[in-house]
Amino acid sequence: MQKPHRLVLDRVSGYADEAGAYLRRRRLTRKPFARVYAPGGEGVLHPPETESGRALFLAAAGVVDAARD
Amino acid sequence: MPTVVSQETLTAFTPVILQQMPDPFAAASIEEPTLEPTGTHAEHEISRFLALSADIRGCAILEADRVLACSGDPLRWQAAAEALLAAADRATGDQAAHAHVATEDGEAYAMRHGDRAMVAVTDRFTLASLVLADMRATLRALSRVPAREPIATVA
Repeated sequence: MQKPHRLVLDRVSGYADEAGAYLRRRRLTRKPFARVYAPGGEGVLHPPETESGRALFLAAAGVVDAARD
Repeated sequence: MPTVVSQETLTAFTPVILQQMPDPFAAASIEEPTLEPTGTHAEHEISRFLALSADIRGCAILEADRVLACSGDPLRWQAAAEALLAAADRATGDQAAHAHVATEDGEAYAMRHGDRAMVAVTDRFTLASLVLADMRATLRALSRVPAREPIATVA
């Protein structure tokens, strides 16, 4: 995804425009994901197609439901 | 004439408006009002964490597979939190340090710190690093106090 431009803009509000556009791009393009981190700090992505990813998404759905109460 | 009437009303009614009245509902529910904190340290930390952001929907803190404190039904939270932690452990093949699962309905976070764990749910598109930092700070704060004991009253 294209990150906000890191350059000097001629208007202060231009930075807010850049940030807003980045957040809109993020909302549109972001897909569900599951990432698990080991004690050493290494993070591994578990796609929903895999068995571990499916288990993580099911468990996460249970937690989201518990938070609704 | 109207100005005089207004000033007379001010004099007559101001003391009544400002008069201290007893609250019958407060007197019925609690005999002596207090501002001292109640609940356990774990419950206090849960409240503090929930107050950090409006994006946080709920959370639970577990110790030895038991819910110490949570923002809803403890039984539901215990089963759900255990399932998420177990799924993260299976995915890692060891004890996972933390996990972040972003679904269409919300984002679930799990984190371990010593023998305690914390699970939280937020709205979508929250900044994961901030949520995880707040969870870590909550667990660290809890590790310095007896989590199950009530908060000591301030002298």
